Amino acid sequence: MRARELASEFPTVGLETDALVAARLLADQNLPGLIVVDEHGLPDTILPGTQVLRFALPRYVQDDPKLAAVVDEVTADAFCQALAGTPVRDLLPTKARELPVADGGDTVLEIAALMARARSPVVAVVEHRRLLGAVTLDALLDRILPR
Amino acid sequence: MTGWLPWAAIAVFTVSYVLIATERIHRVAAALGGAAVMLALGITDAEAAFFSEESGVDWNVVFLLLGMMIIVGVLRQTGVFEYLAIWAVKRARGRPFRVMVLLVLITAVASALLDNVTTVLLVAPVTLLVCERLGVPVVPFLIAEALASNIGGTATLVGDPPNIIIASRGGLSFNDFLSVLAPLVVGLLVVFVGLCRVLFRRAFTYRPARADAVMGLSEREAITDLRLLVKSLVVLTAVMLAFVLHTVLHLEPSVVALLGAGLLVAVSKLPVSDALAEVEWPTLAFFMGLFVMVGGLVHTGVIEKLSEAAAEATEGEMLLTSMVLLWASAALSAIIDNIPYVATMSPIVADLVEAAQGNSGGTDPNVLWWSLALGADLGGNATAVGASANVVILGIAERNRHKISFWEFTKYGLIVAVITVALSVPYLYLRFFAFT
Repeated sequence: MRARELASEFPTVGLETDALVAARLLADQNLPGLIVVDEHGLPDTILPGTQVLRFALPRYVQDDPKLAAVVDEVTADAFCQALAGTPVRDLLPTKARELPVADGGDTVLEIAALMARARSPVVAVVEHRRLLGAVTLDALLDRILPR
Repeated sequence: MTGWLPWAAIAVFTVSYVLIATERIHRVAAALGGAAVMLALGITDAEAAFFSEESGVDWNVVFLLLGMMIIVGVLRQTGVFEYLAIWAVKRARGRPFRVMVLLVLITAVASALLDNVTTVLLVAPVTLLVCERLGVPVVPFLIAEALASNIGGTATLVGDPPNIIIASRGGLSFNDFLSVLAPLVVGLLVVFVGLCRVLFRRAFTYRPARADAVMGLSEREAITDLRLLVKSLVVLTAVMLAFVLHTVLHLEPSVVALLGAGLLVAVSKLPVSDALAEVEWPTLAFFMGLFVMVGGLVHTGVIEKLSEAAAEATEGEMLLTSMVLLWASAALSAIIDNIPYVATMSPIVADLVEAAQGNSGGTDPNVLWWSLALGADLGGNATAVGASANVVILGIAERNRHKISFWEFTKYGLIVAVITVALSVPYLYLRFFAFT
């Protein structure tokens, strides 16, 4: 099976999309990550869901996890409000990582190798400079695991 | 000082020192590289570098640091710092100036007992949380804590790495530091609190509704393992008592710290990797490299010549020597790391103290050690790069989107450094010169 056959339609966001909208998309559609596209509609990078959490969570709580316990429930429930008004661009990791984009003709093994190397749960599939969709980790595992 | 070896020692030392000061390469690489070149050229040898008390690695310093790092590593996991800080903030009822005073005092006391960098690493995250809840700017609080950690660390033998070097090279005990430096530091902290009121006056807007948000924090949740906390506090208290009872127990501080660390690792039952997580191996390697390099200067007679020149220049005038040492150390420590500075100056000061024995007109020659300690420790406050705690605070602030520029820190730090060093002058005079 080739990437073009495995790829399914996948929501995308732009670099300027509001981070709260992107997070809502992740939650509503139960997605492991989002494809971030440039002005030409081509994949710019993948935004993993955990990266959204890393941004929303105050850095001082990440530095000192014990502080997460001392905050009261009402405030703890509201920590995702930090995402409002922030563009997706600001959520992306500062270090450039390998862009997990597969060609439509790539095999399952090539996609798996790319996913493992880039540590990304989503691989975008592009053919003839057009985004066909994406292959998610669960779709890939479903295809390769023995029944 | 004959032949080419002394000149080679000076050249290698200077190049390494410039590399450390300019951070062109990592300071550990510069120090270990310099040490390796000195050994390879025969400037020093294995016997002198590893086994000599005068010109080798000061293992008392290395193992004291190692022991305290392990103790801090275990203590950190108890949540006691978070508990204390939030408890104090709630006692202040969310009033910003009171909050700053209590956080500054906690930082200073903790820095006197532990190391400065660990202290600010523990207090800064709580400060960010509290200031966010209070709706006050966090930058003044973070700067005040860095400055307080350097002042508090000056008080004891274990408070700041330069003090550990000075104690070992000068044969000074924990109680010597407590009796000479701690009273001055208490006075300096009082003055510092007053300075905070003036310097950061715009940061103290009180909002009752926001203060209520702070009262909702639950400090008890920070303590996740009460048994570990009790064990850690018992061992830390025992270690401090053993430092104080040095004259009775006859145990070197390094031995006490190692015993405490070993005991704590054994009773805490933490995985060894967790217990040793706070050990800064690069810092220990840096110290070893420095000691070998300075040992090379001692071994080849360079330090002896420098000491003679210094003694001639000051003509045995203890007051003049003391003041020059205080202010020059403060100025140099403001721009370069005070650890290599003190490591280099220690053998020179040791020679000056020895030369002054019985020849100082009744003045205690150890005043030179105290001048070196005060200058190096307090001078570190002057700039953003003057002390490790300052650099760490700048890093934490930036990661939390509250960038503090070099000059923003320095405009406060310089005032505090000049005032605290200036206040040390009458203290040293009254304590060591006025009544002799």
